[in-house]
Amino acid sequence: MSESVPDLDLRDLFENAPCGYVTLDDQAQIMHANATLLEWIDCEADEVVGRRVHELLGMGGKIAYETHIAPLLRMQGFVHEIALDLKTQDGSLVPVIANASERRSPEGSLLLTRLTIFKSVDRRRYERDLLIARRKAEEEAKRREDEAVLREQFVAVLGHDLRNPLAAVQVGSKMLESNHDDRERTALIIAEIGAATSRALDLVKDVMDFARGRLGSSFPVELERSSTLQEAIEHVVSEVQIAHPEREISYDISVTKPVDCDEARICQLFANLVSNALQHGDTETPVEVRAWIESDRFHAEVANAGAPIPREILKNLFQPFHRGKSSRNRDGLGLGLYIVNQIAEAHGGEMSVLPKDGKNVFRFEMPTRQKSIDDSDPG
Amino acid sequence: MVFAHGFGCDQAMWLPVAEKLQEEYRIVLFDYVGSGQSDLSAYDKDRYSSLEGYAQDVVDIGRELGLTNAIFVGHSVSAMIGALATIAAPELFSDLIMVGPSPRYLNADGYTGGFEEQQIEELLQFLEDNHMGWSAAMGPAIMGNPDRPELGERLTNSFCATDPEIARQFARTTFLSDNRDDLTKIPARTLVLQCSDDIIAAESVGRYVADNVPNAEFVMLDASGHCPNLSAPDEVTEAIRSFV
Repeated sequence: MSESVPDLDLRDLFENAPCGYVTLDDQAQIMHANATLLEWIDCEADEVVGRRVHELLGMGGKIAYETHIAPLLRMQGFVHEIALDLKTQDGSLVPVIANASERRSPEGSLLLTRLTIFKSVDRRRYERDLLIARRKAEEEAKRREDEAVLREQFVAVLGHDLRNPLAAVQVGSKMLESNHDDRERTALIIAEIGAATSRALDLVKDVMDFARGRLGSSFPVELERSSTLQEAIEHVVSEVQIAHPEREISYDISVTKPVDCDEARICQLFANLVSNALQHGDTETPVEVRAWIESDRFHAEVANAGAPIPREILKNLFQPFHRGKSSRNRDGLGLGLYIVNQIAEAHGGEMSVLPKDGKNVFRFEMPTRQKSIDDSDPG
Repeated sequence: MVFAHGFGCDQAMWLPVAEKLQEEYRIVLFDYVGSGQSDLSAYDKDRYSSLEGYAQDVVDIGRELGLTNAIFVGHSVSAMIGALATIAAPELFSDLIMVGPSPRYLNADGYTGGFEEQQIEELLQFLEDNHMGWSAAMGPAIMGNPDRPELGERLTNSFCATDPEIARQFARTTFLSDNRDDLTKIPARTLVLQCSDDIIAAESVGRYVADNVPNAEFVMLDASGHCPNLSAPDEVTEAIRSFV
């Protein structure tokens, strides 16, 4: 007698249902897997029966199965809507969603565990897209928040720091009004106004460099083959020396080869490093400046005596608005070292700081040749 | 007797064993910060970026409770957390029971931990795909446990649901740890309980632990998988009893 249609349907429902069925025994080994599932993973029944269910999964899923799903199943008796990747014969992965539930004896001992598995390629892709979109949105929000904080700091610091030199100019001009006769005093006041204006201009220059560095993808430099870097650096160092007659700056500059660089920017780097050393270093000890060429790299060191820079400050030393606590001179946006670092990076070089023999040594090095400059140019 | 859960779920993992021992011992169960019902606001990214941070919590709990010569039972990564706690504060625990321990999950020169870094990334991907009901916290389904009243009423999946970001960090801290050098410093009497077919901590890894801890005993359980505390609580309980 042939099988009745209802009986055929029940057996067929298990084997050829439009979803995968797996039954596990009390040791979590596979007892049955239906034809639909076997077809998805391209396996024969005898290849999976007796194996542990995690063996059907990719490695990440295996770990998660053992650390999350299996314990959860034991604790609450079911798990629903778990996203997994089944491993096929050839190693490719099939994204699926699985439900599982336990069958227990009246005494509570585990008899078997049933898994129902749905292929879910499009849905999983959609979910991943959603996750990626959410992560992007979160990153964007974080970036905007950081920027807003930066902008606020920026305005506050700029306002604070511009006030001092502008106040000096204002006081100076008032004094000039009532000081027509005393020529010596007038000259002093004019000199003071000039110095304050320079400080204000320096601040504005820093701010503009900063804004360019932040807004554009890279810091603006104009690279050229320079044969006059030696004189340029000596000049800028002696300028700083003239502005600080009370301090001693010793230097040993030996640029024996042409260097591909933006000479003005490298001078700015030296000026900022030396100013920083004067500002933070021990006032009784000379600031030492060295520059030399070694194996096709330009090296520079600016050293000042002083306590080693604490680690938590080192971390953010080259970040904008950083100011050391010991800073004697408040005329600065804390952009000096940030700009130094930007200049270094724009030259394919790098900055580092290390304590050595009771000194803080700022080191800069960069290649003497830049790709963008024609090698036939002798400089 | 202090029971500590591993990476993935929470203290409920230990209930089937702990309730069998509650007549004989004072039982301490807890959730690590970031897991189970812990106060997530106490989570500190830096503190919990190494197992030492978790071990310090174990030491803090032990000191707060005034424990001396207690027994620490740690599952999975907690076996190593307990080891670090016994090294940091030897007076707290006289006995250390490690269930499925691994001092390093990644393979290294001359050492087979069982995992490559890429596979840890796959695990993180899984955690990302499965929030385990975490984000359903707005309208949670309360689950009664008529069969297992000891579990009480809990939110569905809450045993193993964590803030996804914390779960990622715990996974990193766990699977990227290397505490092989600490094994020789463990002062406590130690029992290593090992299952067969444990893909998280293979038998060879369990034996490596037992071989390197100065005063250790190795017991191979009949249970298979990574969670004998759930799949074979009777066997685990007996093994603990006969050791202590």
